[in-house]
Amino acid sequence: MDIIEINEFRVDVNPDDLIRTLGLKKKTSPKKEELKEIILQEIHEIKKLIKPKGIYRIIDYEETNYHPIFENAKKVALAICTIGSELERKSSELMKENQMLKGLIYDAYGSEAVEQVACQLDRIISEEARKMGFWPSKRFSPGYGKWDIKEQIFVFKILPGERIGVKLKSSYMMEPRKSISFRINFYSEPVQDGKKNMCAECEMKNCPFRKEE
Amino acid sequence: MRVEDLLEQMKGSIIEGNKEKAEQLAREAIAQGLDLNEVINKGYVPGIQEVGRLWEEGEYFLPELLTSAECMKSAMSILEPELIKSGDKRITEGKVIIGTVEGDIHDIGKNLVAAMLTANGFEVIDLGADVPLDMFIDKAVQENANIICLSALLTTTMIGQKKVVDMLKTKSLKEKIKVMVGGAPVTKEWANRIGADGYGENAMEAVKIAKALINR
Repeated sequence: MDIIEINEFRVDVNPDDLIRTLGLKKKTSPKKEELKEIILQEIHEIKKLIKPKGIYRIIDYEETNYHPIFENAKKVALAICTIGSELERKSSELMKENQMLKGLIYDAYGSEAVEQVACQLDRIISEEARKMGFWPSKRFSPGYGKWDIKEQIFVFKILPGERIGVKLKSSYMMEPRKSISFRINFYSEPVQDGKKNMCAECEMKNCPFRKEE
Repeated sequence: MRVEDLLEQMKGSIIEGNKEKAEQLAREAIAQGLDLNEVINKGYVPGIQEVGRLWEEGEYFLPELLTSAECMKSAMSILEPELIKSGDKRITEGKVIIGTVEGDIHDIGKNLVAAMLTANGFEVIDLGADVPLDMFIDKAVQENANIICLSALLTTTMIGQKKVVDMLKTKSLKEKIKVMVGGAPVTKEWANRIGADGYGENAMEAVKIAKALINR
């Protein structure tokens, strides 16, 4: 199947979610209101720096590298998405200028934003799978569970990440940092690994991005 | 203003995270011709120490820590040039070389640790992210640093931390230069296994451990 590129994504991070990822877990804190004010002041500027892009391709099982995680799938969708490098560049600049908190807010917004882009791309692909008569699995990224991070090489072999400005480094890390690569298996029957809360299954219990269970 | 009141207000400005106030008080200390090292150590440092205590007690969170660290840095950027002008220099806790190891372009965690070390009196030389491993050692030797802090956010790059420790051993510098490691996949066990001297789970832990290593 052809490579599909999508540039239309809606990114809108709730300041309260952002406050949680910034580590303010306390229900009431004077800093919370102050922080919300800073976020609301900066949101316009932040949004200008977000350039979401996504790319995906659906391949037949026979076109995969036969990694066990593709087992029983009829087709596999591989995808890469990003919000571009401008926001993370600005975040680093702010930190260098001794505006640590603002830099951290920009970075945290970027993390939530790219996650939203990945969710939307996931929905588009899953919808596509259903239209094709398949049952989509949940989204998995290289480095999750049994899918080693080295499998990034396979993702980038199938998809030209550079088309949306994403490069793969020798450490298998993507540049820009705020990028996500993933796969969705298409099955001919309903499967166990259907859509669920991924945070609930993740082992990083203290992760600041963990959503309430 | 009485010196005692000034010092108390300096402490308060850091705890409150009031940058303008911290800067204004620094200028006032200069105008009054006070001993600036004393001003730092008796005014601002107790402030950041209190912030650390509040954090430990769960009263303060990362945003408060960072705001206070910003205030410290702002005040120091006014006081330090004056100290140098008068032929003196800031008494620091020690000199630290920090960076994210090669192959890894994450820098937020490293920036937070650098900010907290600076706020707590360390002289920090930040080499940035994706830093060639030998550069850590070259810079540490050149700057006569006490500690190298190595950040790695990936299981594929944390091996760089081990390589730096091994390189220090080969060059017989391991005793002289201490190594601290950190980053999401890094653990105390990993630090022990590779022969690092310290592991900080977060920025404030890193400050504690760095202080302990210097005073060892």
